[in-house]
Amino acid sequence: MVSKRQSTHFGFRSVDAGEKAGLVRGVFDSVAGKYDVMNDLMSLGIHRLWKRFAIELAGVRPGQRVLDLASGTGDLADRFADLVGPSGLVLMTDINAAMLGAGRDRMLDRGHAGNLAFAQVDAESLPFPDDSLDLITIAFGLRNVTHKEKALASMFRALKPGGRALVLEFSKPVIKPLEKLYDLYSFHVLPRMGKLVAKDPDSYRYLAESIRMHPDQETLKAMMEAAGFERCDVHNLTGGIVAVHRGFKF
Amino acid sequence: MSLRDLALEGLEQTLNRILDLDPDARVRLAALHGRVIRIELRGAGIELNFVSGHDGRLQLLGTVEGPPDCTLSGSPIDLIRASDKTEGPAQLFAGHVRIDGDTALAQRFSEALAGIDIDWEEQLSHMTGDIAAHEIGRGVRALQREGGRVGRSARDNLSEYLTEEARLLPHHLEIEDFLRDVDTLRDDAERLEARIALLEGRMGGDKA
Repeated sequence: MVSKRQSTHFGFRSVDAGEKAGLVRGVFDSVAGKYDVMNDLMSLGIHRLWKRFAIELAGVRPGQRVLDLASGTGDLADRFADLVGPSGLVLMTDINAAMLGAGRDRMLDRGHAGNLAFAQVDAESLPFPDDSLDLITIAFGLRNVTHKEKALASMFRALKPGGRALVLEFSKPVIKPLEKLYDLYSFHVLPRMGKLVAKDPDSYRYLAESIRMHPDQETLKAMMEAAGFERCDVHNLTGGIVAVHRGFKF
Repeated sequence: MSLRDLALEGLEQTLNRILDLDPDARVRLAALHGRVIRIELRGAGIELNFVSGHDGRLQLLGTVEGPPDCTLSGSPIDLIRASDKTEGPAQLFAGHVRIDGDTALAQRFSEALAGIDIDWEEQLSHMTGDIAAHEIGRGVRALQREGGRVGRSARDNLSEYLTEEARLLPHHLEIEDFLRDVDTLRDDAERLEARIALLEGRMGGDKA
């Protein structure tokens, strides 16, 4: 029997499915140090508002257990740790050790202790028991996961009944004129910015390309429903450049 | 996402920048880690939810799910008055400001915010160094003292002129006399009223 080799996309390139995780790792190893500066610069600071919106949709209450996947430098985890209070728990995770290290240093510098834990975790196979978490979030991370269906299924499994998942991710602009401008920005301005500030134009080219390859609003919603999530809704932000998908497990 | 989020973000950042200047206020707020305090501005229809962080910095949310730990509601002016130490209780008892939920929490929260006391000299020292900041601080305090003295003496002179020389306003002893007379008159009138009522009652009794 001939084993069929599965391929996936890495930006606009087609690569072997087993290869993608390593390539993504290379990107984030390279940008970890300048991650926060670049986020502010690239989104003109708007990413703070996107995250603020997602936090209100999360509806975190004191005492809850929250898993933040692809935490990066921990913008969401930082806020969740204050919202769950001393009796709650926030698990700050990333698949990339360099990013997680940068995030952990930042959280410790901010004085978080007691209700925040760190772990290097692969979103496709979460090392948490079934029905154990109140909320799972993944902000600007799902795009980089090789098997998105597996990640969504794994999230569904680990959620408590009544829990919810939130996916904050770049999406497809719903306003036509914005689309042209956005294309110009992501393929010409962004890589140049990456070259100037982070000295790494390729990683930022990957960022722009991977955004285009990511499923649009309706496709991702259908994927969440296929994973078992109910009452899924989509909230477009900044004309659909970014969208928050929310789904519940009942 | 809207202007509302932008306003919340701006307000939150400003508030936290002020809190950064008073570490004691942050310690007081840090004790409320995770508690949700809602402020409802009556009339404006605005609702603000404050959540205190582990370090006493505040998060400001437009909406929270479930009931908050406590709610303070009132018109913006009433709420500002309520934070005043002397006027505060009166505002509460007059029903202008309403507290629901954990009242002790509401009190601790408003005391922490009302008690913000920024040590400007310390903040200045980050820019100018300790010695210069202390000298400037001393200068400012001397100026405040002198200003206060000049202000007090001007006030005394003015009131003396108005009461003693121009006689436009009565002296406070005259006012006390007048108020005493009014009290006496009121008591007399009440006594008379009671007496009339008594006599009327008697006449009514005779008729019956």
